[in-house]
Amino acid sequence: MQAQQVQQLFVRYKILALLLAVAVIWLFFHIKTNGIFVTPNNLSNLFRQMAITGMLACGMVFVIIAGEIDLSIGSMLGLLGGVVAILAVNHGWGTWSAIGVVLLLGLAIGAFNGFVVTKMRVPSFIVGLGGMLAFRGLVLYLTDSQTIAPVPDDLVALGQGFVPPRLSIYIGGLIFLALVALTARRRVRRAKLGLQQGALWIDVAKVVAIGVFIGAFVHMLNDADGIPIPVMILLALLAVFSYIATQTVFGRHIYAVGGNMEATRLSGVNVAGVKLAVFAIMGLMCAFAGIITVARTGSGSPSAGTGGELDAISACFIGGTSMRGGSGTVYGALIGALVMASLDSGMQLMDVDNSWQMIIKGVILVLAVWVDVLSGSNRNA
Amino acid sequence: MGNPAGEAGFLHDEGVGVSEYLFEMRDIVKEFSGVRALNGINLAVRPGECVGLCGENGAGKSTLMKVLSGVYPYGTWEGEILWDGKPLHAYSVRDSEKAGIVIIHQELMLVPQLSVAENIFLGNEIRKFGGLMDYDAMYAKADALLARLKLKGVNVAAPVSNYGGGYQQLFEIAKALAKNARLLILDEPSSSLTSSETDTLLSIIEDLKREGVACVYISHKLEEVARVCDTVTVIRDGKHILTKPMSEMTTHSIITAMVGREIDNLFPKSEHHVGEVIFEARHVTCWDVANPNRKRVDDVSFELRRGEILGIAGLVGAGRTELVSAIFGAYPGRSTAELVLEGKPIKVTSPQQAIRAGLSLVPEDRKRQGIVPLLGVGDNITLATLQHYSHAGRIDRAAELQTVEAEIKRLRVKTASPELAIAGLSGGNQQKAVLTKMLLPNPKVLILDEPTRGVDVGSKFDIYTLMFELAAKGVSIIMVSSEMPEVLGVSDRVLVMGEGKLKGNFPNVGLTQEQVLAAAIDSAAATPNAA
Repeated sequence: MQAQQVQQLFVRYKILALLLAVAVIWLFFHIKTNGIFVTPNNLSNLFRQMAITGMLACGMVFVIIAGEIDLSIGSMLGLLGGVVAILAVNHGWGTWSAIGVVLLLGLAIGAFNGFVVTKMRVPSFIVGLGGMLAFRGLVLYLTDSQTIAPVPDDLVALGQGFVPPRLSIYIGGLIFLALVALTARRRVRRAKLGLQQGALWIDVAKVVAIGVFIGAFVHMLNDADGIPIPVMILLALLAVFSYIATQTVFGRHIYAVGGNMEATRLSGVNVAGVKLAVFAIMGLMCAFAGIITVARTGSGSPSAGTGGELDAISACFIGGTSMRGGSGTVYGALIGALVMASLDSGMQLMDVDNSWQMIIKGVILVLAVWVDVLSGSNRNA
Repeated sequence: MGNPAGEAGFLHDEGVGVSEYLFEMRDIVKEFSGVRALNGINLAVRPGECVGLCGENGAGKSTLMKVLSGVYPYGTWEGEILWDGKPLHAYSVRDSEKAGIVIIHQELMLVPQLSVAENIFLGNEIRKFGGLMDYDAMYAKADALLARLKLKGVNVAAPVSNYGGGYQQLFEIAKALAKNARLLILDEPSSSLTSSETDTLLSIIEDLKREGVACVYISHKLEEVARVCDTVTVIRDGKHILTKPMSEMTTHSIITAMVGREIDNLFPKSEHHVGEVIFEARHVTCWDVANPNRKRVDDVSFELRRGEILGIAGLVGAGRTELVSAIFGAYPGRSTAELVLEGKPIKVTSPQQAIRAGLSLVPEDRKRQGIVPLLGVGDNITLATLQHYSHAGRIDRAAELQTVEAEIKRLRVKTASPELAIAGLSGGNQQKAVLTKMLLPNPKVLILDEPTRGVDVGSKFDIYTLMFELAAKGVSIIMVSSEMPEVLGVSDRVLVMGEGKLKGNFPNVGLTQEQVLAAAIDSAAATPNAA
């Protein structure tokens, strides 16, 4: 019993441990850079940098929880970004119709990957490797290996623009109120059904902590130019994906499939369908990331997204997703992405040589997972 | 023959005299989280002797083998093992093999792609300077070993997969002999052999006995035990029942000893009304996944009545699990079946369809097929019925939790919280959770495959009580079980399967374990008769 309680405590506090790690990293860089790391402008930049990896990580965390992997996403990002640039620049499509088509295309390519994995039973690792090559080749072919520029202004605004400060405050306030309402509704409903309740102070503390967090976040970014639009999109995705993971039947099925596929199949769940959908969502996230990449750089580069799969996978594992599937959280993966982005940004500010940046990131990834293994939260299964 | 007496002088324990035994296990006790799988087992083998080890499925034979071969290291069980009269402390399979104890498992442990010689010396390779494989020496020695086993015309450089099951079984023995085995443990060695191959195997065992090699022969096939063994040890429920010279035993007396226990009040049997035929399975046939020509289930048909509890008995490998998984649409290979539920033919090609049609299956292997270990107890319970507590894909957590708490209370699942990962629960409580998961869809036909395997007595009682309650409510139950008392204590009617076929169909009125076991073991003895 006691060991279980300790373990549970660890699992509960995982997010705190991760946030602590971020705080330590920030403090370290803040001191090392003589106080320019934790400033509104730099953090605004940092969050914007992390947005793309974060979008990929949102999709990837589902894929990994379902017990699979997708190595093709960096190339898929490049391909989908390339297509949006070609449509908008070469064919003169309107920005929104180009985006709509590319989102659907991402969904379709992801579903195709899922089809090959589930129906044709090719291991996802291989499907990913194949896609990594093929999608990159395809974008080189489509773009003739040329960068496509300049993309229309309204598309660029998506990547480089800001949410107006006043609007940010309203959105932040709205989210906080929604949170309060949801918590209250849950307590009322549980009381009505006579179910046991968590202590009131825990819920209050949670709400207050999140409120303070939202307030600080909005206030700090408003001190720069406001919340960057990609960051706002990422936050919206965080909300949607967390909702799917914790509140929906589909989300529960993802965890079950990854935790024990055979038991889940025998419980009457369409396991192939669940996996296929997870891959399709991954494709959709590649489309998001691809569009934002093009918007940020103002051009469609055929090499965009190279290595993106590694960043996304690292983010998931640093964020405590289990290698074996069956456990993990969306917010964990995003904090993982934040850790990676912080390392990138800090080391760039410190003018660390690129070779050392890679070495350090590699070591940190292995260390983070080792700590996770030590904590025992990935045992079983 | 090896004589261990000379080495007895090294013994520190003065209480032990000169032992006539090569190998002796005394009072072996092995517990799994409070459940005694072995409770004071004794087993002794003299040099050149073959001891038959008999017991029903679940009697503790495989656990005993794992103790003696070092799979369960010294210290994880109580009692003592003497080898040549000295205590043996084996911490791994390697240790026990070094001593000279080699186990040959029911499933052969050969690497099909490697050559015969490479398999025979796997992990025990003859090396040249620098760690190179000395193929010449290995081929020569492999030839010699096979000659000792009277195997002719084997190319020891060819892959093992070129040879059939009978040869492969003998390669395993050669592998054991290459390790200088003095005690061979053969676990159901004839299960995949033809009768002439079995004949060869038995005569080779007799030869080995003459050379002083001792054997423990584990088999359900009592004619083989009678032919090759000098002594018989029977165990039941993890307890030692008897050890007698074979000359004093008959196959009948062995069966009686294997099953001979009273059915006590473990089964809270209640009267329930058995109604009209509600479900029919016709011509169920399953083909082996690896070998598409072999039938695992061969044209089995049966009927099930409303509120009836139908037990399916048989030995391990008789095709019972395959039968029920084919009915549930979960058989991994090719299978055919015609199913009729409440007079209407139903089509079942996946568990999803089966559950929708009104069938539920609680699978045999809880860990692999039943639980999702990392999910909470509650999440496991509602896995099959999530749509009941959801609107437009969103789970109504409160409604879900309400069901979960009611079910936990009803089945007395012991858990600190429904959110606790199910992996932390005991086997019995996990089983109850899996059971309630498959009951929540309100099945008309509930299929239970080994519902009480690895379950403590208290939970067993709860599960039986629940089964009778369900039957009284008109749910029809199919129960596959290897525990004979359970089959007889719970069922209204008993089907017996053997070698993929239906071997018997008995109303459970005055039915004895001997009758059932005889039908299962001796396929010729019983012919299907109408219920």
